[in-house]
Amino acid sequence: MSAPDISRSPRAEAWIRFKRDRIAVFFLVVFAAYALSALGAQVIELYQGSPFMYEQSLADLGVDLEETALPPSSESWMAWFGTTSAGKSVLIRVFHGTKVAFVVGLCGAGLSVVIGMTLGLIAGYANQWVDELVVYIYSTVASIPYLLLMLALAFIVRQGPIADTYRSFLFSDYVSLGLFNIVVVIGLTSWVTLCRLVRAEVKKVRELEYIHAARALGFGDVRIVFQHILPNVFHLVIINFSLTFVRAIKSEVILTFLGVGVDKEPSWGQMIADAKSELMQGIWWPLLASGLALFGLTLAVNYVGDALRDALDPRLK
Amino acid sequence: MIAFLLRRILYTIPVLLGVAAITLLLFDVAGGDPVAMKLGKNPDPAEVEALRAALGLDASLPVQYLNFLGQVVTLNFGTSWIDDTPVREIFLRGLMPTLSLSLPAFSIGAVLSISLSLVVAFYRGSILDRAVTALAIAGISVSSLIYILVGQWLLADQWKLFPIWGYEYGPSAVFFVALPVLIWVMLSVGTDVRYFRTVVLEEIGRDYVRTARAKGLSDTRVLFGHVLRNSAIPIITRLTIIVPFLITGSFLLEIFFGIPGLGSTLFTAITSSDLPVVKAFTMLGATLYVIFNIVADLLYAWFDPRIRLS
Repeated sequence: MSAPDISRSPRAEAWIRFKRDRIAVFFLVVFAAYALSALGAQVIELYQGSPFMYEQSLADLGVDLEETALPPSSESWMAWFGTTSAGKSVLIRVFHGTKVAFVVGLCGAGLSVVIGMTLGLIAGYANQWVDELVVYIYSTVASIPYLLLMLALAFIVRQGPIADTYRSFLFSDYVSLGLFNIVVVIGLTSWVTLCRLVRAEVKKVRELEYIHAARALGFGDVRIVFQHILPNVFHLVIINFSLTFVRAIKSEVILTFLGVGVDKEPSWGQMIADAKSELMQGIWWPLLASGLALFGLTLAVNYVGDALRDALDPRLK
Repeated sequence: MIAFLLRRILYTIPVLLGVAAITLLLFDVAGGDPVAMKLGKNPDPAEVEALRAALGLDASLPVQYLNFLGQVVTLNFGTSWIDDTPVREIFLRGLMPTLSLSLPAFSIGAVLSISLSLVVAFYRGSILDRAVTALAIAGISVSSLIYILVGQWLLADQWKLFPIWGYEYGPSAVFFVALPVLIWVMLSVGTDVRYFRTVVLEEIGRDYVRTARAKGLSDTRVLFGHVLRNSAIPIITRLTIIVPFLITGSFLLEIFFGIPGLGSTLFTAITSSDLPVVKAFTMLGATLYVIFNIVADLLYAWFDPRIRLS
């Protein structure tokens, strides 16, 4: 009896390969810490209500410190990263920015991945007519310069006849239009790569014998696509999600900086935008804090994404 | 091969028609009434009617679409709404400043990242390889805004190595584009090294490399004579696809450093709802993208005899 005594699912195998990379595990923990902060910021915000702590200066919060633009100091935990030129705590604002980054990252990447995956599955599996239509759509969308489309959309949805309809999708006044915008724009412009990859992979997988077998057993198309094909292309979705996540939080920073992004609450992009004039007055700590926060999250997701790609790619076994 | 190319070229027609439709819908329909945008609030009704007719907006949507296609085909996009300069002139004016920034940045970046990735892949697993790979992933994780703000503040404002802002035509442009070029290179090298390293690594693992080494060829000959030649296809393809972006320019760098190129022109046009300019640039960007994708396919075929001869 020499049957292998351990048999693991491909997913367990991938997890074992992933764990071998200690740095990747470290960055996964870093990512989890960011996610917890984001969740924490959201909970505090709901619990506390207006006026939010991030809007108040340290003096309002009862901390008596002399300067408004205070460099990092240990006098109060709120001043660990210093205060802005308006006397607000950099630490609290950066903390809240984590929440904005996660909303943008998760929703933007989520929307993009859902569109890309669905269209990719349909194009790869359906008949030639549908396939060509999807290919045509993504060829067209891909031809329009990404940043131009993003900026143009961001400016246009603020005015014009569709602005009101568009705003009605925004079920709450609380979310800033800019934030919603970024999510929509990222979602509508970033799905092409994944769609292409999934389509190509589905075309390969659907010719495999187990799919023929499933069809011979009389399974419906929906069941075959979701239960038999999707698991085999899902690694593409996961990897692409991490890439789009990074792209989304970076786009938030750029769009906010250019004045069409998040405007109702502090985000890293807004802090970096404010830092432009502050920096010239020698106030460097808000930029350092928001820049580092952004850097840490981006690096963690980039590294984990790379490690996931290596771990999930069956060819690298 | 020729049939394939012909199909590729013909396919660009429906794609560009689609782009034109999206452009028109996006800017003229979803973007609100262009006339209201041009005349501001509470305009004179007679004036509105006149302008509507002049801009061809009284026609039905399909007719507007045909008119727009006519503009695209004749490359005559009319004049800017802001100062009535012909769009073509605006484009030509911005082209030089943009190229004076993008071409040096592209060439320096390409040479740097190709040579770095060759060396790093050749000494795979060494400290050098790990250091460069780590630096590359750290480098791409820093926001481009941080590079720009810190570069501008530290190198230009504090250390006075470069001018902070502005542009001059002619040879003195070198001083003004130096810092943005440096930042562009920093921004692109990280991504490119990571990509090229994978490409080169794939080649280095092949049998012919072992044969060449076994023959006693020097490392440099193996690298540049054999590996580089075989990795050339994906590298060239990638570089070709970047070319359209060299022409449309960099929004952020041009805005920050006051370079009057196409990127900053387009940004101003978007913020001031100068629709003829925005529409022209969208079509230009898309056309360039489509053309250079075909060029990339062509080069791909040309460099690979297996494809060329099939």
